[in-house]
Amino acid sequence: MANNNTLISVQDLKVYFRSSHECARAVDGVSFEVRKEETVCLVGESGCGKTVSALSILGLIPIPPGEIAGGRILFQGKNLLELDEEDMQKIRGNRIAMVFQEPLTSLNPVFTIEDQIGEAVRIHKNIGAGELRDCCIKLLKDVGIPSPVQRLKDYPHQLSGGQRQRVMIAMALACDPDLIIADEPTTALDVTVQAQILQLLKSIQKTRSMSVLYITHDLGVVANIADRVYVMYSGIVTEQGNTAQIFYDARHPYTQGLLASLPSRSKRGKRLYSIPGTVPNPAYKPEGCPFHPRCPHAISTCSREHPEMCDYSKAHLARCPVLFESANGYK
Amino acid sequence: MISFIGRSVIQKIITLFFVSIVSFLIIHIAPGKPSQVDPMNPKFTPEVVERFQKEFHLDKPLHVQYFYFYKDLFTGETISWKDNQSVINKIWERFLNSLPLFIVGTIITWTLSFPIGIRSAIFRGQFYDRSATFLSYLLISIPGFFFAYVLIIFVVNQFHVPVIGMETFGIGEGASLPHIFMDRIWHLLLPSMLGATGGIAVLSRYVRSQMLEVEGQDYIRTARAKGLPPEQVHYKHALRNALLPFVTMFGLILPGLIGGSVIIESIFSWPGMGRMAYEAILARDYPVILTVNFVSAVLVLAGTFISDLLYLIVDPRIRL
Amino acid sequence: MNIEEKGFNEDFQFETPLAPKRTRLQEFWLLFRQNRLAILGLFIFILFFCCAIAGLFMTSGPDPLFDPAMIRLQEKLRPPLVKPNLDSLRREEIPCLGFYLMGTDDLGRDVFARMLQGAWVSLTVGFVAVGISVLIGIFMGGIAGYFGQHHIRVDHVIVTFLLISGTALVTAHFIRFGAVLLCLTPAYIFYSFLTQNRSKGKTLPLWAKVFRKNAVSVDTLIMRIVDIMLCFPSFFLILTVVALLPASIYNIMIVIGLTSWMGTTRFVRAEFLSLREQDFVAAVKTLGAGNFRIIFRHMMPNAVAPVLVSATIGIATAILTEAGLSFLGFGVPPPHATWGNILSDGKNFIFDAPWLTFIPGIAILIVVLSFNLFGEGLRDVLNPKLRGRH
Repeated sequence: MANNNTLISVQDLKVYFRSSHECARAVDGVSFEVRKEETVCLVGESGCGKTVSALSILGLIPIPPGEIAGGRILFQGKNLLELDEEDMQKIRGNRIAMVFQEPLTSLNPVFTIEDQIGEAVRIHKNIGAGELRDCCIKLLKDVGIPSPVQRLKDYPHQLSGGQRQRVMIAMALACDPDLIIADEPTTALDVTVQAQILQLLKSIQKTRSMSVLYITHDLGVVANIADRVYVMYSGIVTEQGNTAQIFYDARHPYTQGLLASLPSRSKRGKRLYSIPGTVPNPAYKPEGCPFHPRCPHAISTCSREHPEMCDYSKAHLARCPVLFESANGYK
Repeated sequence: MISFIGRSVIQKIITLFFVSIVSFLIIHIAPGKPSQVDPMNPKFTPEVVERFQKEFHLDKPLHVQYFYFYKDLFTGETISWKDNQSVINKIWERFLNSLPLFIVGTIITWTLSFPIGIRSAIFRGQFYDRSATFLSYLLISIPGFFFAYVLIIFVVNQFHVPVIGMETFGIGEGASLPHIFMDRIWHLLLPSMLGATGGIAVLSRYVRSQMLEVEGQDYIRTARAKGLPPEQVHYKHALRNALLPFVTMFGLILPGLIGGSVIIESIFSWPGMGRMAYEAILARDYPVILTVNFVSAVLVLAGTFISDLLYLIVDPRIRL
Repeated sequence: MNIEEKGFNEDFQFETPLAPKRTRLQEFWLLFRQNRLAILGLFIFILFFCCAIAGLFMTSGPDPLFDPAMIRLQEKLRPPLVKPNLDSLRREEIPCLGFYLMGTDDLGRDVFARMLQGAWVSLTVGFVAVGISVLIGIFMGGIAGYFGQHHIRVDHVIVTFLLISGTALVTAHFIRFGAVLLCLTPAYIFYSFLTQNRSKGKTLPLWAKVFRKNAVSVDTLIMRIVDIMLCFPSFFLILTVVALLPASIYNIMIVIGLTSWMGTTRFVRAEFLSLREQDFVAAVKTLGAGNFRIIFRHMMPNAVAPVLVSATIGIATAILTEAGLSFLGFGVPPPHATWGNILSDGKNFIFDAPWLTFIPGIAILIVVLSFNLFGEGLRDVLNPKLRGRH
């Protein structure tokens, strides 16, 4: 699967959180890859392990209580999980950068914008003070902040939500990374601002030709931005494919359920679909396919065997034996 | 800014006014007549008591007494009932004695509790943190007077140096200067260390919990995601935020200036503020008690005022 | 194929397997159990509680098992675990264990008996003082948090002032003037009652308008009282009041209680302020529940956690304060023993009879430590923010 076009490939990653009497399997065997210059979306409900997967790429899982129980994360041929802290620091912010969900709490309230962006540059590059300042101004200009020179001395609380997120993006861009991980960067923002930030990310990805791993629960955003999509449920990837395959030819009942619960013009006047039941507690997952208790197509094997990833059509995979069979039956 | 200062000064003055009333009432309504300073003392004949009452306006109604007392206080004419000395001079003299204890104690407290608290937070759950936690509980729980005796026994048995009082009795004659100096240091060390124990324990726990609180914030994750080395994450990003509440505590040390520890000063026969207050209470020397109380209330209020101001200056989020 | 048309088979179980159901108490215990120090604290606390109660029964009454007041001058300053000199003692003077478990003091009194007696003092002082401060704290904090925006009008202030000063004057033997003030109050209340009914639509005279003005909000008033109380240096204040009042254990309890409620008030107020804004309170309100029910049935259980923690630590502080007072010679009058005055008596023999200092000192240390450890353990468990961080 991995070819030389692959930038990062996560293979069978397992991240557990242990407390004295429980073990929450937040990520339970996730594999995905991001290729050069493409935008990949991880979609799923909250608590399905998207953010944990992203944080473990950067080695930001707090250990303990967290624990990397298995798997590999190959980035440009190196396994990130085997790197020591010092080498990891050279990758964080430099080769892989991250944009977080809440721009307000993710920026340090007691440092100015210049301090925080400049710091990101200074750690990885050896440049002088004047140059650093120019660099900050250029970054702010790139992310579309008006009058960046005046903004340099501002504190985060003096900016609007959208501007804060732009600053976060500027920080992420500081060292021209190969991969930007964006963890629901628009969730905390207004709808109009959301669209602007998405647009910004898209254009940056194009102009700087880098890869974006975009984490979201919003299928609308996915349709807008993604080249390829991984759908996650309860710590595993249930379906993967390019955007068209996921939206127009979804195979996994969970993906179908998600799509069915989107409002659309054709469903006007009808009751909106919702998937029955709730996401399982990560410490007490059901046997077999984690989705089977909520699945309308479930058969008896579903509650016994953990389903394998099945290649459905060209690079379109789903983790569901039922649909694989029934789909074969159609043809 | 100006309006904030104005408002809070007015508020503090009103509070102070009520404090003065309450403390005056507590003292004067409590059973026992102040004029019977010492009923066993043969010098207190009825005539003396009467003159005494006149002199201190004790025959007047309470509100008049209140007025006289605070008039005297503000003009600095209050005199002690016990020895007819000026209360202000007395307090000043004792204050100068307590000051070295306070300064050394505060320095010990602040220089020890910060490193301990910060390290505990960074290594939370590990051996260092757990032993520091247990030790601080131990220090909070140990009764000061008991600890004082344990330390006295230890120091006297181990180093054979006298520690009671401000200096060894009669050392003035014929001793060399370094000797006198060392003697002073020994006498100063124990009481100020004792004064600091509680402070170290409480403050280091507080530093630790502040640090932990900040370490859990999103911006710490951001800082790590930038690729900052852990030292910079802890000591720059986290500490700077965790320190904010402590800047305000600089103001809150102020009341400690006059507090002095009654117990420690009486164990070590240290002629400081605490001892004076204790003696005044025993002698029912109301002017001294009330003045100490008033001055300490002023210091408490001034302390909170300063800490509010400091907070304004340090925290960029607060703008008036 | 279409998921919406297919609908659901009734055969399928929609119930996802959930975490095993635990009550709040079980959840609490699971977390608390991990904190070994807190468990140790709880254990010592229970032990101390039993000792104090057993001590009360064994040291009081006309013919106590251990007599803390029995003076044997010929047996003074015997070290712990030493057998008494049987020849020189009368039958009733022989200690009940056959030896002095903790030695004797300078009057030959059995230190073990005195420690047992003192345990009860420490226990009651701790609990009663904290009980008083918690009651006041919850009351004041609850009012400030829940009824905080209500305003006190100028006339309320004046009426209260008249009442208080009237009573004060009457008790201070200015009977006539005081009685006038006391009579003014019902007169004004009657008048305002009359005008309230009549004056709808009519304009009030200026002075009445001034009287109807809002003076302060309840919240401001209570928080200012807290500020005023915090201005007093607490140990000094307690010392002053205890020195002025007749020496008795009850006075100490009351004074410690009355001077330490401010922290609880602040907690409860903060807790109530945030609870009041929450949706469940609004929901209960729309169901028509009265204030009383909202406060005690719905809000108090949520506010109780921080109060419990501060009460536990407050007990530790109160025990230390009492010991300090006893040490300085205030408080429980002799010959009744408290741990503080055993230590205070023993300090004169610190080099000859160190057990007289160390036994009460270590006892206080252990008991106070156990309360502190238990309280901090409670805080960790009850604080949802810190959960799962260890």
